[in-house]
Amino acid sequence: MTTSADNVTVEGWGNALRVFLGGNRLIWLVLPAFIFFLLFFVFPVLSMLAISFNKAIPGVIDFQFDLTLANFERFFKRALFYEAAIRSIGLATLVATITLVVGYPLAYLIAKTEHPGRNTFLMILVLTAMQLDMVIRLYGLMVLMGDNGIINAALLQWGVVETPLPLMYNFFGVVVGLVQFGLPFMVLSLIGIIRGIDPFLEEAARSLGANRWTAFWRITFPLSMPGILAGSLLVFAISMSSYVVPALMGGWKVLVLPIHIFQQNSELGNWQFGAAVSVILLMSSMLAVLVYQRYAVKTAGGVRA
Amino acid sequence: MTVATDRAGPGGFLGFRGKGVRGKPPVDKFWEEPDIPPVFKIGGWLALAILLLPVVIVVLAGLNAGDFLTFPPDGLSLRWVNEFLTNEQFLGAYLFSLQLALTTTVISTVIGTMAAVFLARTDFPGLGVLRAYFLSPLILPGIVLGLALYVFYVATFEPLTGIRLQRTVAGLTIGHVLATMPYVIGAVTAALFNFDRTLEEAARSLGAGPFKAFMKVTLPIIAPGVMAGAIFAFIVSFGQFEVSLFLSAANLEPLPIAMYISLRYEFAPIAAAAGIFAIALVVVSMVITSRLISLKRFSGIKFN
Repeated sequence: MTTSADNVTVEGWGNALRVFLGGNRLIWLVLPAFIFFLLFFVFPVLSMLAISFNKAIPGVIDFQFDLTLANFERFFKRALFYEAAIRSIGLATLVATITLVVGYPLAYLIAKTEHPGRNTFLMILVLTAMQLDMVIRLYGLMVLMGDNGIINAALLQWGVVETPLPLMYNFFGVVVGLVQFGLPFMVLSLIGIIRGIDPFLEEAARSLGANRWTAFWRITFPLSMPGILAGSLLVFAISMSSYVVPALMGGWKVLVLPIHIFQQNSELGNWQFGAAVSVILLMSSMLAVLVYQRYAVKTAGGVRA
Repeated sequence: MTVATDRAGPGGFLGFRGKGVRGKPPVDKFWEEPDIPPVFKIGGWLALAILLLPVVIVVLAGLNAGDFLTFPPDGLSLRWVNEFLTNEQFLGAYLFSLQLALTTTVISTVIGTMAAVFLARTDFPGLGVLRAYFLSPLILPGIVLGLALYVFYVATFEPLTGIRLQRTVAGLTIGHVLATMPYVIGAVTAALFNFDRTLEEAARSLGAGPFKAFMKVTLPIIAPGVMAGAIFAFIVSFGQFEVSLFLSAANLEPLPIAMYISLRYEFAPIAAAAGIFAIALVVVSMVITSRLISLKRFSGIKFN
């Protein structure tokens, strides 16, 4: 290792950190993050997994060594719970589909916008909408969609309806909330893929006589399949795991898995069972991802979603 | 619909005709973009409206003069903004969120950047696994991560160490660091990937030690990437709801939690006024990010 006169000023730090940064000892750099994740990510997840196999004792969180499958049995025997799992999966599938239909034109618009300033402007809008706290966006949606909300007030005033339309505190409200939540993720997954499609391919199709619509459906749409699959998968996963959207837009009437997780833990103090529901949420989400990926690989011709 | 024989063909929206060659068409006006069919333009702006309408509503509700947002609005005033600025609950929650996000960002950025340097500069068979290890909090639902941490704090950490983390700032910060570090690691790894290592080697050959070479050459060049990662960590922490749900307590309420509690009972305009300040923070952060790095990089990257 070279020593230099320049190092005098930072010698104390320099010597310590030269060891830190030098050669094979680069491993020291990753250790703080590695240990942090081990201690506060891996161990907690294992902790949760462990207590989900304990007998449920309300109000007690304490790992016991006698293991049981009672929590999982209870989940799959009672309609209240297993129906929530089915509802979660169905809801997430529906939301992913709607988000794709709504999001694709916007992704196409941004991907094909060549003016740099406009492109940045649109990207900022999408990223801002995505990064903004969902609770704030839900406030806006709820003011819009409530019984006394803006939409209903306008419809009543114009005499379109006699009584307010039930737009939220039901399944419909949850779907709208989740589509709003998932839309930026879908758009961002699609933009890169659509932008990467060579425009000459579509032009070639059109020069051979296809109209714009046919050229889009036969060329651009199939080529954007990797983005469609990645985006749908992402929206599916975040829709399934969202608690705040079903809680506020569903008014606690749309019982999905995250709602049960919160109720079991925070309200009933049933931590062991709550942990079991969490494990099931994680498993069904991962299972769906696996099934999806098998399907995706076939559809996208080997391109990994 | 016209049948195009070459690039000059498409009629385009508003009758604009492209220049006819591949590359940058001579578009100056904001609404004109020759190669996008009108149906996509309409659909795209519709989707953008769905995305932004709730945000606009929050701003209007916060600036509304009446007791609640009506249709049509009663007129604009700073009444609720002023009330927010003197309200202990919401201003307190806002400032707490700010402080929590700053602490989280510092911790995440420092240890995340260090880890990213390692990930970008080493090569061994398990590297992919290690990378996935650091991205895994993105896959775990936020509510499950919060629950897992809470259970771990109560059932394992406190009995073993005697340190109480449940319902403390430290415990909440740990959850936020886990949720934000993947963004820092992602952004810094990408910046290092584009960095020309011969620059650092030149500094080394001129006598700088590895630490000095890194601080004086590498860090200033990758700084935009590190900053972008830090800003993302800040915003993700500031807007974090799901991870905070099990980790917050009555005296530890970040803004999203405080707003959620209020939204369960009423649409307080003061919450919307707090929302305006949160929206401003996110918009400013995104504009700064767009100056630092190309936003194109975000497309195709998974965020949660």
